[in-house]
Amino acid sequence: MKIFSESHKTVFVVDHCPYMAESCRQHVEFDMLVKNRTQGIIPLAPISKSLWTCSVESSMEYCRIMYDIFPFKKLVNFIVSDSGAHVLNSWTQEDQNLQELMAALAAVGPPNPRADPECCSILHGLVAAVETLCKITEYQHEARTLLMENAERVGNRGRIICITNAKSDSHVRMLEDCVQETIHEHNKLAANSDHLMQIQKCELVLIHTYAVGEDSLVSDRPKKELSPVLTSEVHSVRAGRHLATKLNILVQQHFDLASTTITNIPMKEEQHANTSANYDVELLHHKDAHVDFLKSGDTHIGGSSREGSFKETITLKWCTPRTNNIELHYCTGAYRISPVDVNSRPSSCLTNFLLNGRSVLLEQPRKSGSKVISHMLSSHGGEIFLHVLSSSRSILEDPPSISEGCGGRVTDYRITDFGEFMRENRLTPFLDPRYKIDGSLEIPLERAKDQLEKHTRYWPMIISQTTIFNMQAVVPLASVIVKESLTEEDVLNCQKTIYNLVDMERKNDPLPISTVGTRGKGPKRDEQYRIMWNELETLVRAHINNSEKHQRVLECLMACRSKPPEEEERKKRGRKREDKEDKSEKAVKDYEQEKSWQDSERLKGILERGKEELAEAEIIKDSPDSPEPPNKKPLVEMDETPPIEKSKGPVSLLSLWSNRINTANSRKHQEFAGRLNSVNNRAELYQHLKEENGMETTENGKASRQ
Amino acid sequence: MDDYDKTCLESALVGVCNIVQQEWGGAIPCQVVLVTDGCLGIGRGSLRHSLATHSQRGESNRFPLPFPFPSKLYIMCMANLEELQSTDSLDCLERLIDLNNGEGQIFTIDGPLCLKNVQSMFGKLIDLAYTPFHAVLKCGHLTADVQVFPRPEPFVVDEEIDPIPKVINTDLEIVGFIDIADISSPPVLSRHLVLPIALNKEGDEVGTGITDDNEDENSANQIAGKIPNFCVLLHGSLKVEGMVAIVQLGPEWHGMLYSQADSKKKSNLMMSLFEPGPEPLPWLGKMAQLGPISDAKENPYGEDDNKSPFPLQPKNKRSYAQNVTVWIKPSGLQTDVQKILRNARKLPEKTQTFYKELNRLRKAALAFGFLDLLKGVADMLERECTLLPDTAHPDAAFQLTHAAQQLKLASTGTSEYAGYEHNITPLHTDFSGSSTERM
Repeated sequence: MKIFSESHKTVFVVDHCPYMAESCRQHVEFDMLVKNRTQGIIPLAPISKSLWTCSVESSMEYCRIMYDIFPFKKLVNFIVSDSGAHVLNSWTQEDQNLQELMAALAAVGPPNPRADPECCSILHGLVAAVETLCKITEYQHEARTLLMENAERVGNRGRIICITNAKSDSHVRMLEDCVQETIHEHNKLAANSDHLMQIQKCELVLIHTYAVGEDSLVSDRPKKELSPVLTSEVHSVRAGRHLATKLNILVQQHFDLASTTITNIPMKEEQHANTSANYDVELLHHKDAHVDFLKSGDTHIGGSSREGSFKETITLKWCTPRTNNIELHYCTGAYRISPVDVNSRPSSCLTNFLLNGRSVLLEQPRKSGSKVISHMLSSHGGEIFLHVLSSSRSILEDPPSISEGCGGRVTDYRITDFGEFMRENRLTPFLDPRYKIDGSLEIPLERAKDQLEKHTRYWPMIISQTTIFNMQAVVPLASVIVKESLTEEDVLNCQKTIYNLVDMERKNDPLPISTVGTRGKGPKRDEQYRIMWNELETLVRAHINNSEKHQRVLECLMACRSKPPEEEERKKRGRKREDKEDKSEKAVKDYEQEKSWQDSERLKGILERGKEELAEAEIIKDSPDSPEPPNKKPLVEMDETPPIEKSKGPVSLLSLWSNRINTANSRKHQEFAGRLNSVNNRAELYQHLKEENGMETTENGKASRQ
Repeated sequence: MDDYDKTCLESALVGVCNIVQQEWGGAIPCQVVLVTDGCLGIGRGSLRHSLATHSQRGESNRFPLPFPFPSKLYIMCMANLEELQSTDSLDCLERLIDLNNGEGQIFTIDGPLCLKNVQSMFGKLIDLAYTPFHAVLKCGHLTADVQVFPRPEPFVVDEEIDPIPKVINTDLEIVGFIDIADISSPPVLSRHLVLPIALNKEGDEVGTGITDDNEDENSANQIAGKIPNFCVLLHGSLKVEGMVAIVQLGPEWHGMLYSQADSKKKSNLMMSLFEPGPEPLPWLGKMAQLGPISDAKENPYGEDDNKSPFPLQPKNKRSYAQNVTVWIKPSGLQTDVQKILRNARKLPEKTQTFYKELNRLRKAALAFGFLDLLKGVADMLERECTLLPDTAHPDAAFQLTHAAQQLKLASTGTSEYAGYEHNITPLHTDFSGSSTERM
């Protein structure tokens, strides 16, 4: 259905003349007495609706279904006609809901049976309907603005549904002529106007309604072209439920709807909560949800609808959901639904079940008896959709696994890290417009792309390509440096991270340098630190143009690292003292706390290392389509070789052997804390004494020792 | 499909039609290649006869074209253009393409009929219809060369204003990520495998990394297999995290990348295309309005990842979510009246529900101009009042009388009492103080 088809604009013209106040002569029992209280009480006399009530509630039902299935772009204008035309709403989207219409109808009230019938006519309403069809809707306006000079290509078509009580066939012809004439006149007016549009096509649906038991004075007539612009059809319908049924049929025709009946819905009985019976619920939706049935011809139509509607309904069987598993179904279409009988208990049970977030798969009974899941009912944000699931054979059968393709043999992808990256780059709606500094509109999606660009400036894909991303100690810096702008606190954290790394280097802490592809034990410790500093520099340099604060982080990094180690040490010590002088006591304390935390983290790391190494053998075998390393940093060899064995020159067989034995042994016991923390294999005793005496002493102690 | 000993193109096309529909349904695009010598058959069943009777078909013997599935009909003529033009053969074959809504093409042989020229004709078909679609998958600076299979078809928006076919970009740019639960089985136009490929410097495809029998390729593929590829990383993380990547395919056109498991062992990176437009999925809102979470004041997913900004709630609720009043069937009206009556018998405990239901009925009756109902319900409440047992709370009688009176006033239809927005409120009695407390 194209957006500017006849269904874009629907005008209801409902007769409000004195005759419409008459009873439809269909009784409604409203006083249903409960069994045990009926003794001696006569129920109140049944009442009956007026022709007006029947017309209004049937047209409201038409609108209800239309708004449920097409909440946008399908508009209704409601006009009531008596001695004049009362236009109850406008084409604007805000006016398009049942509450607005109901309130406006209540204000009009029922027709006054004592009004002068001579003054009243449906013609007032029909003229107003043509007038309103010439008025531009916001969607038409938008499309015209978009097309600029081709604005005339935006269509203006519409439909007038007129519910009245006509006197005869010639009366009907008179009404048609009037509409024809009015269109002609208004099109002339619209031709000379910027805010009116000429009517290109108008469908007039005249519904003559009369009390049950009376003879119709008007005959039915199928759609007929009265002029190139106007087609007209006449329906002669008894009031009451007949009128409602007719409008239900019309809404299906006008909006290309189809019906699906969900069968076998298990429901607790109202009276006996422990028993359950199976119910059926009929839903309306766009007919494209049946496209597969229509094309394949394998329609399994479950008899005609109970309402006796003109259209048949397709029956689908409820499949009780077993799990709340979140799955991505291959869905080829999703269509909004509207229950035919919205307030019935089975309908509201089904809709409430769905609105509470459950999805239901629907099974299509096939002639062959085989079962095929063809549809799914699911709600999204309070709207229920019928999803069409693909049930035919996939052309992508037996595709090669990703592990067999390019990059498929690589086993140390940073899967967990990239998962973290994806969570940080999740999207969220920004409904209020935001503006850039230059006043132009900021597009949130462009911001998302910018962020991805920043976050990926330096992003090694595999664990063995990186050192810094395998180090917990670098996280505080790596997580903030990618930001567009940094706070003072961020800068401070980055600096702290760098000092911490300097400290690690001074203590000669091992680094998680990869040994993949290298022989022996990999690079030496100072070489490892050089690699680490280089990598960190690459990361920080990638972001120095973000802001002046990023620049400051780089400056700090460059000041702290230096190529010759001795010089480095001196510089660092000097810098540290300087730093300390202007830092408050609190900052010192913070640093202390962080340091001790880091230490305990490191101990934890050591304890876990053994486990990791055991797991390593299995990880390597793991194929990359399920590469979920049990720990963030598994595939790295921690260089634990004591410096004494780090002899220069070629490695002797003895040292190779003892290395191997030592590594094997070290897995079997927990290393002494002293040896782990040792510098040049010398551990300092009674450290706690110095720590108790304060930072300065520790620092001096270490400095003097070196 | 039965064999026939004479040329009968219509039966062949009917056969194709049935086979494709049985096997693939009506949604999967199919290329139908018809190889013919250009002769149309003779008599009944000949193409000339089929076309001549085309306008007189009913439902039972519908002509198979247009195919009831997205299709391209390629007609390969083992004859050169001059031969075909000497009769009306070419015209008839062109009619076939026209009948298939213009989807397809006729190929003829250049020059004399020989193996080389036939090969060259099929070569042209291969170039036209079977060239792989190469693209670059991008996520910021992370990129991978990929082949998208099957080739994404151009999409024509069903729109009267500008029906220009949209073609997807060869740069597939990831714009962000969304949880599978939030994207929630969205409707898609088509889905495609995204296969990483290795390109040499000239941009020719070296291999897909898939092991082949050919030894040379084997080694090339093995090398390609060992070079880290962004697709594999992305696939692994999407699978582990249960997320999809939103990918931009063109202006106002998006799709999603996700991990699709074929079996326990095999899984793949797949791409599904959404319908082009600013808002393909109502529950995500406008695509352009999706931005990074870091721009939000607080993380919309919560600090513990326990909430989500999706789905978006529409402004107006649908009828089934807002307790609308429909009295088309008598049962609808009876249920609403019964609800009032049930609560009336439990006054004063149910005062609030009683008035809520009463006001709902009042509003609908006023909108439908059904004033007789208001009178009827008022009568009913008055009767209930007389039927109250001696043990009843004195407030019950007061409330029933008050409610009945108010309904009667509304049923006069005079604006003073019949305002739509007006609500009947409980009567303040000496007893009602305690009853409101109980609620």
